[in-house]
Amino acid sequence: MTTTALAATMRGGYKDYGFGDTAVRALDGINVDIAGHEFTAIMGPSGSGKSTLLHTLAGLDRLTAGESSIADIVITSLPEAKVTEVRRDHIGFVFQSFNLIPSLSAKENITLPLDISGKPVDKEWFEEIIGILGLGDRLTHLPAELSGGQQQRVAVARALVARPEIIFADEPSGNLDSRSGSELLGFMRRAVKEFGQTIVMVTHDPSAAAYADRILFLEDGQIVDEMREPTADKVLDRMKQMGH
Amino acid sequence: MFRLAYKSVKHNPKRLLLTAAAVALGVALVATTLTLTNALSSGFNTLFSDIYGGTDVIVEEVPQETADDTGSDMFAASDSLFTDDDIAAIEAVDGVAAAYGGIQVTGAVLAKDYEPSGDLMSAGGAPSQIFNWSGEPDVDRATLEEGSAPTADDEIVLDIDSAPTLGYEIGDTVSVATDTGVEEFTLVGLVRFGDSNSLQGATLAYVTESAAQTLMDTDGYQQIAVVVDDGADSEKVAEAISEVIPDGTRAITGEAKAAESAAELDDILQYIDIFAIAFALIALFVGSYIIINTFRIIVTQRTREFGLMRAIGVTGRQLRSMILLEAVVIAAVSATIGIILGYLAALGMAAVVEAFSGEIFGTVTLPLDAVLWSYALGALVTLVSALMPAIHASTISPMEALREAATESKKPLKMRNIVGGGIALLGVVSIVVGLYTDVASPYWYVGIGAMALVIGVTLLAAQVLVPLAFGLRDLLTRMFKIDGKLAANNIHREPRRSANTAAALMIGVMLLALVSTFTESLKSVVTSQFTQIEAQFFVLSTQGEIPEGAITLLADQDGVDFVTTTAVTSVMYDGTAESIAVVQQDLADLAYDYDNDPDFDELDGGVFIDPTIQDLGVEVGDEVTLEGDAGEATLTVTGTYNTEGDSAFWIDESTASELFSEVPIYQAMVVLDEGVDVDQAQTDLTEALAADYPLVLLQQPGDLAEFANSFIDLILGVISAMLGAALLIAILGVANTLLLSVTERTREIGLLRAVGVRKSSIWRMITIEAMVMAIFGTILGMLLGVGLGAALVRALEEFGFTTIAIPWVWLAVYTVGAAIAGVVAAIWPAWQASRMDILKAIATDG
Repeated sequence: MTTTALAATMRGGYKDYGFGDTAVRALDGINVDIAGHEFTAIMGPSGSGKSTLLHTLAGLDRLTAGESSIADIVITSLPEAKVTEVRRDHIGFVFQSFNLIPSLSAKENITLPLDISGKPVDKEWFEEIIGILGLGDRLTHLPAELSGGQQQRVAVARALVARPEIIFADEPSGNLDSRSGSELLGFMRRAVKEFGQTIVMVTHDPSAAAYADRILFLEDGQIVDEMREPTADKVLDRMKQMGH
Repeated sequence: MFRLAYKSVKHNPKRLLLTAAAVALGVALVATTLTLTNALSSGFNTLFSDIYGGTDVIVEEVPQETADDTGSDMFAASDSLFTDDDIAAIEAVDGVAAAYGGIQVTGAVLAKDYEPSGDLMSAGGAPSQIFNWSGEPDVDRATLEEGSAPTADDEIVLDIDSAPTLGYEIGDTVSVATDTGVEEFTLVGLVRFGDSNSLQGATLAYVTESAAQTLMDTDGYQQIAVVVDDGADSEKVAEAISEVIPDGTRAITGEAKAAESAAELDDILQYIDIFAIAFALIALFVGSYIIINTFRIIVTQRTREFGLMRAIGVTGRQLRSMILLEAVVIAAVSATIGIILGYLAALGMAAVVEAFSGEIFGTVTLPLDAVLWSYALGALVTLVSALMPAIHASTISPMEALREAATESKKPLKMRNIVGGGIALLGVVSIVVGLYTDVASPYWYVGIGAMALVIGVTLLAAQVLVPLAFGLRDLLTRMFKIDGKLAANNIHREPRRSANTAAALMIGVMLLALVSTFTESLKSVVTSQFTQIEAQFFVLSTQGEIPEGAITLLADQDGVDFVTTTAVTSVMYDGTAESIAVVQQDLADLAYDYDNDPDFDELDGGVFIDPTIQDLGVEVGDEVTLEGDAGEATLTVTGTYNTEGDSAFWIDESTASELFSEVPIYQAMVVLDEGVDVDQAQTDLTEALAADYPLVLLQQPGDLAEFANSFIDLILGVISAMLGAALLIAILGVANTLLLSVTERTREIGLLRAVGVRKSSIWRMITIEAMVMAIFGTILGMLLGVGLGAALVRALEEFGFTTIAIPWVWLAVYTVGAAIAGVVAAIWPAWQASRMDILKAIATDG
């Protein structure tokens, strides 16, 4: 675990889609610092640019202008192959759905990032994660044989196993029923508290955002507000102001 | 419905592109061959009407269809049949204006700088046609262009194209090699054959009638050309002439003769067409695997769409028709492309061939039957292949529209295995029955059995491939880490799809392996036949028949121990014509290790019989009655000749003289005195032959074996090339399956990229997948092909196939080829996969 104070940063981030008349500005001058060992949530209405912010921070997409970095590595100027390496070595991902490779077992999915980079699996750490996530008896199953909640927990385990600097999660509980959803978010929170993991999560669900330490509110491609130690009610109020 | 089908094709051209390419390739094979044979047929039609069309009536020997055609072809000279009295009798017939006796001289016009050499390929040059000059253009079929006609017996005319090719100008001395030696003539003129002198590469020459008769040692004629009076009906005149000519001859109008010859040739060309259509069917059969895969994948990918359509009231039948309509659209488009490609290929090939061997094709036009065959085959294969997926689509329930992800139905493979195993077993039984039991038309049993075996193995391959690919998983993982593991998983994931893809390649490779096993065994037979020889040289003549003078000359040379000859002709036995060989009983077995029992020196004036006669129930000690042109003889069977396909009967020379007036010698062997240097002897003997017999060659057995084997290799090459289309289609199939799978796995690949898998890694993963499928297909194909090839060789044991030779070199080449093909097939899909936009991939709705 690194002790970098800032796990990710973006300075003057602009992202335009399309050209000329059809151009859409998704990010409009974003300056953001993601502190280490914190659970940060990004909220905003549809089209506010929250997914774009996550994608550009994570190196899945490129900024039109501006600079962003992961673990002190400026990724905006790196070639694609290097960015891929940064994703591989420093970032974990949890998506809303289709997180797992259907042909690999749960265990193989979890160790996938290590397999890719050819690093050995830290047995103790692996056991600890699957213990916490309650996946011990599901390791040999294929994704199709797991429930939605179990699949997402496997995805979280995969994100954790390589001890990345930062985990990006895009609506991780979006497809789950409320009980499985809150279970999953509880695990993510524990990862931050107990292991000092850094997590950035995009969500539009106030109760999901309430698990975070800090919430960034996005509107029309700009960060319009920030909230610390949120509760579901506080978030709901804030969202209503934004026209929800 | 049609609009929907059309739009579906129009909006997804990429996924159908390779499918269409596969159909187009198969169709192109048909179109090319049919176009070429059509052009060849029209070329020879022109030739035949040039030869015969101008002559009103032709009087000739009644064509015989003998069992053995040794040495005879459509231009060959026959014995002299007609006398001057016959000509006088014909001229007396009502309506006959004039009758001309014709003689064709057996011989070859030698090039000015001709040097005899041991090289079989260049010996003799182009075939020569030498006739007597009548002076009547309709009879000679040629007109004088330059100089004068031959009037003295040492004068000759050549056609305008051959003279410069052979290096002659008017006034030069022309050498003509005949059975009795080399004759010299003075070139006095040049003639044009027909209108365009299109001789298909042959040399045409004319000498005087008496010169021709002297050369052929006759005072008669082989043929009589008749010119009828103006206004007389040629057919009526021909009928009248029939009354006055000898038995065994006939009078036929020139037009009818031309038509008859053209029809005979068309019969031969028809075999080429059938050959090509057979290969096209193989190619399209392979293509059908791809079409099935494509439609199956498309139906799977569109399950939700179909479910939605069912939900809004589209009937299953309508869905089925829609998919079949799509198939028709693809068939129509790709067959059209195939026809165009095929026609262009035919044009190109005709141009190349004509550049090397002169004008042998008529106008290259696209014949109607090529178009009809192409569309019929294209539509048939596409529709049949689309049928199962279409039926599957029609059973999709409206509920499918609501399902989350589309995956191919996970029906267990049990049914497939039972059906596949059953079909494969039936196939094997059918092959065994065809090869080893005595059934009528065994080829059908073998052919259909092989087809059933292929289909059965294809079905079983799903079950075979899964565990095998899974067994390879650990190895691939160790070799290629995660890329290898994922590749193995992907093959394992859709066993039917992978099996069909590999099986398409399997069929092509199986046929290649079968043919190469067969030819390799044939080559080992040939080699062993040529090594069972005591003699140092085979004597061959580019004219077919070896002049007796050449034999005598060789026997008289220093260093030659003896020369022994084998003469071949046909004989009537029990109402059928059979081939008969005449050997020198005391010498034959000293020169060659014949497969006979006992040796020929125990012929004792009797006859040896081969397996075909033995099969009729004739045994050693029985008597057989043979009838030749000079008489009949009843002979005791004193032994057997045990290889089928050479000659039915074997007799000695004194018996032959009772049966035949003359037996042409086709083979002779020279045995040297002990201690004589073979290479030196070859040079000396060739030199001795050069003066009088420049067309007679000596070949050492090893060289001849090599020459024969190079012919076998050539045939293997032609068949491989014809199978090339099927193999190419199979490779397209690998690419096609992967391309469709990549589209299907968009999200998965996006996810891999997101978690840090490099583009090069994705590329490698797809390539491994392609290679494993290709190599699996190849290995299965080789196993089947070598197996079937060995069975075939075994079944032909009677024809002298004693050893089964496995073409290891070729098998290695095929395996390496398959690996390379896998890499190549992966290029497009891998490129598609690796350039996939990550965000789009993970956002894809599924």
